[in-house]
Amino acid sequence: MPMSSTQRDWALSLPAFVIVGLLAVIPALMLFVSAFTSPDIEGFTLANFDKLWNSKLATQAFWRTIRVALSVTVITIILGYPLAIGFLRANARLQPVLLTLLVFPLMVSVVVRAYGWIVVLSPSGILNQTLLAMGLVSEPVEILHTEYAVILGESQLLLPYMVLSLIASLQKADSNLEEASMSLGANPVTTFFRIVVPVSVPGLLTGTLLVFALALTAFATPLLLGGGRTPLLTTLIYTFAFTTFDWSAAAAVGLILIVLALVFVALQRWVGAKVLKSYE
Amino acid sequence: MLLAGRSLSVAMMVFGFLFLLGPILIVVVSSFTSASYLTFPPTEYSVRWYAEVFSLSWFTRSIVSSFVIAIIATAISAVVGILVARALARGTFKAKALVELVVLTPLLLPVIVLGFALFNILVYFALEGNNFVNLIGGHVLITVPFVVRSVWSAMAGTDISLEEASLGLGAPPFVTFMNVVLPMARPGIVSGGILAFTYSFNDVSLSIFLTGPSATTLPVQMMSHIEYSADPTPAAISTIMLTITLVIFVITSRTVGLKIFAEK
Repeated sequence: MPMSSTQRDWALSLPAFVIVGLLAVIPALMLFVSAFTSPDIEGFTLANFDKLWNSKLATQAFWRTIRVALSVTVITIILGYPLAIGFLRANARLQPVLLTLLVFPLMVSVVVRAYGWIVVLSPSGILNQTLLAMGLVSEPVEILHTEYAVILGESQLLLPYMVLSLIASLQKADSNLEEASMSLGANPVTTFFRIVVPVSVPGLLTGTLLVFALALTAFATPLLLGGGRTPLLTTLIYTFAFTTFDWSAAAAVGLILIVLALVFVALQRWVGAKVLKSYE
Repeated sequence: MLLAGRSLSVAMMVFGFLFLLGPILIVVVSSFTSASYLTFPPTEYSVRWYAEVFSLSWFTRSIVSSFVIAIIATAISAVVGILVARALARGTFKAKALVELVVLTPLLLPVIVLGFALFNILVYFALEGNNFVNLIGGHVLITVPFVVRSVWSAMAGTDISLEEASLGLGAPPFVTFMNVVLPMARPGIVSGGILAFTYSFNDVSLSIFLTGPSATTLPVQMMSHIEYSADPTPAAISTIMLTITLVIFVITSRTVGLKIFAEK
């Protein structure tokens, strides 16, 4: 008997469906269950979340995660505009080179990129060697293993995404507008805020949502640059799993991260469907 | 005024690129130091830390297993990803939305949470000791969505009448699939494969929960090594990893173009 088209489609889908189902969907559902159960309490309970709520470590990690993600977003916006505008103004021969320089870092291991900052920021690192040699400081500045190091590292990690989003929307804008604004006597700053920023709103929005969401879920960079003293939600899961062996707490933190991530997925879809449409 | 504005924006662009690439370049240059600690620029150059790295047994073992795991995981992801992409691109079955949701789930959830959840279930079934198999399974999980997305969009863009012509001329469905459908989807397959290999080779967030005494990967090993040593070996390893990235980079730009890495 020949297969019906539905049977054929299911046969094609089954291997991937089973693999992802077994290794991601079922474990995620189990995580959900263990976040709402505790070894000491029968049935479902909010004890794990209550414990997190009352833990200084966890609440600090939560607010630090939000603060870092916000700072990273702002820094990538500030550094992103000059890069995006510079790329679009560059001539046809320079553009592929600049694009290469923007995309290549995305392919480099996050561990390698974080290690670059360790070499620069550590007490005996390049920054401190320079500052000490110039006599600007009398003892090494402590940046590594602070929130600032995490912010720097994640900003470098995510900057290309912001630049690429901005380029995509600025590319569609008419460069004559900018020239018209300048030739009518507006200065570059006015032109930037009145002409360039408004036309780049769609790219700014998608870039902001993307960078913020990726900053919330970054793991290796905060672990290497923040160390144990500055935990974020992601590194807290790791600490709970392997240092304090509190797996219910790790599951609860994981669930909070899943909710945050899904909120951003929903926001991205909503912005994509509603807000960006009005710009077309 | 105009000139001042222009030179300011050029200066800011140069600063942006320095911020992006400076730390990586510093690592490469300082890896060639002869000193037993990192300086920039090195006072004397040598390749002694490369000799040192290749004599480390954990380095040779983990770079080999990283390659083996990435190749096997990419191959499995490619096969199951192409099959499901075919069903999603041309299928008419009712459960299409469900299949899409499940197969793309790993892109929606934070990888660190997927790693912990997978680790949890492995411990539950007392399977956490099979590090090699677990790493391959985990890497298939996080790389399958990349293959599905690229191959799906490549297949959706192809002309269905060519398939119909092949079938109409009497070629069996399997022959049509191998000789018409797959060649037309080739750019998507190549993109998906490159993305899968790169993500597998570089992954830390998931692998850190799955590595163990019997199998581990280079980025995870390097991460724990950075924490406990201050000598320039991580700089040499970073440069080796950058060289591998550069090879993938050249292959990508010669085949499907760099844009594939710009999407997330």
